[in-house]
Amino acid sequence: MTFLEAKTQRGGPLSPHLQVYNMFALTSFLSIVHRIFGGALFVGTLLFVYWIGSAAAGPNAYDSAMNFLGSWFGYLLIFGWSFALFYHMCNGIRHMIWDTGRMIDLPSIYKSGYVMVACAFGLTVVAWAIGLSV
Amino acid sequence: MPLDLVLPRNSRIKPGKSHKAPAGAKNVKEFHIYRYDPDQKKNPTIDIFEIDLDEIGPMVLDALIKIKDDIDPTLTFRRSCREGICGSCAMCIDGINTLSCLKPIADIKGPVKIYPLPHLEVIKDLVPDVNHLYAQYASIEPWMKNRTPMPKKERLQSPEERDKLDGLWECILCFCCATSCPSYWWNADRYLGPAILLQAARWVLDSRDEEQGSRLDELEDPFKLYRCHTILNCTKACPKGLNPAKAIADLKVLMMERIV
Repeated sequence: MTFLEAKTQRGGPLSPHLQVYNMFALTSFLSIVHRIFGGALFVGTLLFVYWIGSAAAGPNAYDSAMNFLGSWFGYLLIFGWSFALFYHMCNGIRHMIWDTGRMIDLPSIYKSGYVMVACAFGLTVVAWAIGLSV
Repeated sequence: MPLDLVLPRNSRIKPGKSHKAPAGAKNVKEFHIYRYDPDQKKNPTIDIFEIDLDEIGPMVLDALIKIKDDIDPTLTFRRSCREGICGSCAMCIDGINTLSCLKPIADIKGPVKIYPLPHLEVIKDLVPDVNHLYAQYASIEPWMKNRTPMPKKERLQSPEERDKLDGLWECILCFCCATSCPSYWWNADRYLGPAILLQAARWVLDSRDEEQGSRLDELEDPFKLYRCHTILNCTKACPKGLNPAKAIADLKVLMMERIV
């Protein structure tokens, strides 16, 4: 018997959950985005491996990889990857603070949420400013 | 991982009946209410009731009682105290779990959408089966446990020790928090969820209880406690303004402290 079958043993329906719950409250929204970005980081890492691998494969492969990554689409992927990385890092720090039992009341949760998103944006902009200037 | 994102076939919601407001009503609000009748082998529906707000009290529960009294006596929901102390009328209103007796209708823009507590088996209309939650509550043995002999009078507690129980003892077990938690939706077979973990913290942190160690041993499990991923829907939902997420964090800190 699956968990869901066990849960509805008398034959009644399962009450709606994701379908009706407000997932755009800051609490759950930032958490879902954290999960999605975690998955995106995996894809971004594949991109990174492709770039490194092309360098190992020789000048022709490297040139075509650089052509792709240097296109507007490549830039978009790298930009998304960098933002996901900084978001994941900043929110990870927020989670570590909660794990010590601190700042885990509703006003602090909201405040730290906004600060975390601002930091992630800020770090992304700074990283790109540095990256594009060298 | 039993991640059911879509409702099972028999649980999908169909459109239902519509009840118009009486002629001449000026302050009309629509209530969209989840209906399920176990006597008919049909899918749940959403019935629409138009209510004249000038005729009823300010809370969502007042509208439900108005509907049951005057429009459709088959509408089924739990309620008792109508002042936020019994925890019976917990339901999902406007996308957030809360007590219908404490939820002002005026807080809600547009139609008032009312569903039973999420991801539970529905018995009828807004009444879900919460037996599993009570079984999990029993599993943490929510009573004072002592090994030392009874003192002549009572077991004493300093005001500071008593303060640690504030924010925990007020829980009325309405399960708004537990059923707001996606982790609990998908792991309720093994994860205890915020309501039960807050209760666990209530006994672990009680200076008069002498079984803190064995209580923590019981929670030392990849699922029972550690399926909490700090999504924080629990704290957001609690109609009593309690903080289950903090109670869980405190338990995790205690777990850490006894290891290091």
